[in-house]
Amino acid sequence: MNDQWTERLSEYVDDELTDSERIALEAHLQTCAHCTTIVGDLRRVIRRARMLREQAPAHDLWPGIARRIGATPAPTAKTVDLAARRRIRRWSFSLPQLAAAGIALMMVSGGAVWLAGVRAADPVVVSINNPPNATPAVIPATVRPSASQSYAAAVADLERVLAQGRGQLDPTTVRVIEQNLAAIDRAIADAQRALEADSANLYLNSHLAETMRRKLDLLRQAAALVPVS
Amino acid sequence: MLFVLILGALSLGDIQQFDTTLAVGRGQRLDVNAYGGEVTVRAWDQNSVRVEASTSGRERVEVTSTGAAVSVRTQGRHGPPSEIELRISVPAWMALSLDGVNASIRVDRVRAPITVETVEGEVDVTGGQGLVSLRSVQGSVKLRGAKGRITVNSVNEDVEVANSAGDVIAQTVNGNIALKVVDAPSVDANTVNGDISYSGPIRSGGRYAFSTHNGDISLTVAEGTSASVAVSTFSGEFESEFPVPIQGTRKGKGFNFTLGSGSAQVTLESFQGTIELVRPGSENDPARRDRHDDDDDD
Repeated sequence: MNDQWTERLSEYVDDELTDSERIALEAHLQTCAHCTTIVGDLRRVIRRARMLREQAPAHDLWPGIARRIGATPAPTAKTVDLAARRRIRRWSFSLPQLAAAGIALMMVSGGAVWLAGVRAADPVVVSINNPPNATPAVIPATVRPSASQSYAAAVADLERVLAQGRGQLDPTTVRVIEQNLAAIDRAIADAQRALEADSANLYLNSHLAETMRRKLDLLRQAAALVPVS
Repeated sequence: MLFVLILGALSLGDIQQFDTTLAVGRGQRLDVNAYGGEVTVRAWDQNSVRVEASTSGRERVEVTSTGAAVSVRTQGRHGPPSEIELRISVPAWMALSLDGVNASIRVDRVRAPITVETVEGEVDVTGGQGLVSLRSVQGSVKLRGAKGRITVNSVNEDVEVANSAGDVIAQTVNGNIALKVVDAPSVDANTVNGDISYSGPIRSGGRYAFSTHNGDISLTVAEGTSASVAVSTFSGEFESEFPVPIQGTRKGKGFNFTLGSGSAQVTLESFQGTIELVRPGSENDPARRDRHDDDDDD
């Protein structure tokens, strides 16, 4: 969903709107759950960022994500100075805009699967304790990924974010998230077993898709808890 | 204009008390960012915000006022703050945005949009108008007396909405969902491991979707209800306290039936639980609860 206010939410969060614009936008927020959710996400990112000291990430996730959505050509083997690139970006975008871009990218990355409504690959068993392979799952930009590939890649990306941020989360929170991801994985496995016997069952197909969506939702929610570097 | 107050402290042993009051105008909202402890926001009949806090002395409370918002933020002198008890009084018209990490958050009698998010703590709200969005990862979420567009979300605990009106979205992963005396034109409630119960009118033209993987669904249906009902389960059961005109059987254990003219759309899905239709009043029947407890034991 997009509306005339979506582009202004970052300014709103930064208190950069005029009084009349702010009043109009706040009236809009009272009826638009989509924009309200984005405002909440932006504020949460800013608050958590303020509480942190600067810390370099283990590696940059952007190249893998960019390749998947076709945002940039596939990189060559040439090494890129990520720190320099970030310095340039810092002058180009505000933190809320970067956060919004990250949220949008996660939606793009994981959004196709339930629209397609088809069976996906086997569920990925989650362990935040053991980070997945550090190399982002890469799908060539020239090949349109299947729904299952998009889903698996989105899950892998989010799991990687979680794995890298594990040390910054409360251990109890990590355990709860792992338990709930495991519960969702069991439900996914149940639905897949049921579909093996009845692949045309509309309910089972939609239930599987919905449960997979729940896993992505929980992973996104958990990834949002990881403080922003 | 920007005001920043670092609240003064009155030492009472190891506990320090903070107390300040700011005049506010309509249109200002309250933003709270509290790392841990308890946050209580109550409406009062004054156009001002009063912030009271009890801390151990290793934290401070920062209050900022702009034309758009009054912001209350707790800070530790060395790293994140620990437990702080915040008590805030606000005008009932003031919209709230409350954010915590290890914080339990309670709101009482505010008649404005409310957004609450915490990680490890309970959320308990009475009131709210317009957009009401409550979220906790590890704590339960309870909402009463709200009116508007309602979203309640937990991960590992129960969510409950009672005596409220408006569109409702209720989600959890490992918990029950209870929607009691809710007057909603649309409901979307889903959990993975948990029961779902709904009591309230099923409105003509409304849309109601309930889904659980491993749990029961109990839907209260008043006499005279007009709804098209779709029931789906894989290995669960369907029960009804009253006769239903089942018209056809879908592939698997799914079927549809129509009550009245069928104007509302009701979807009931439980992969392996019992889906039950009950009459108003019956949901609290002790004999029925005992019967279900016996079934669960089996």
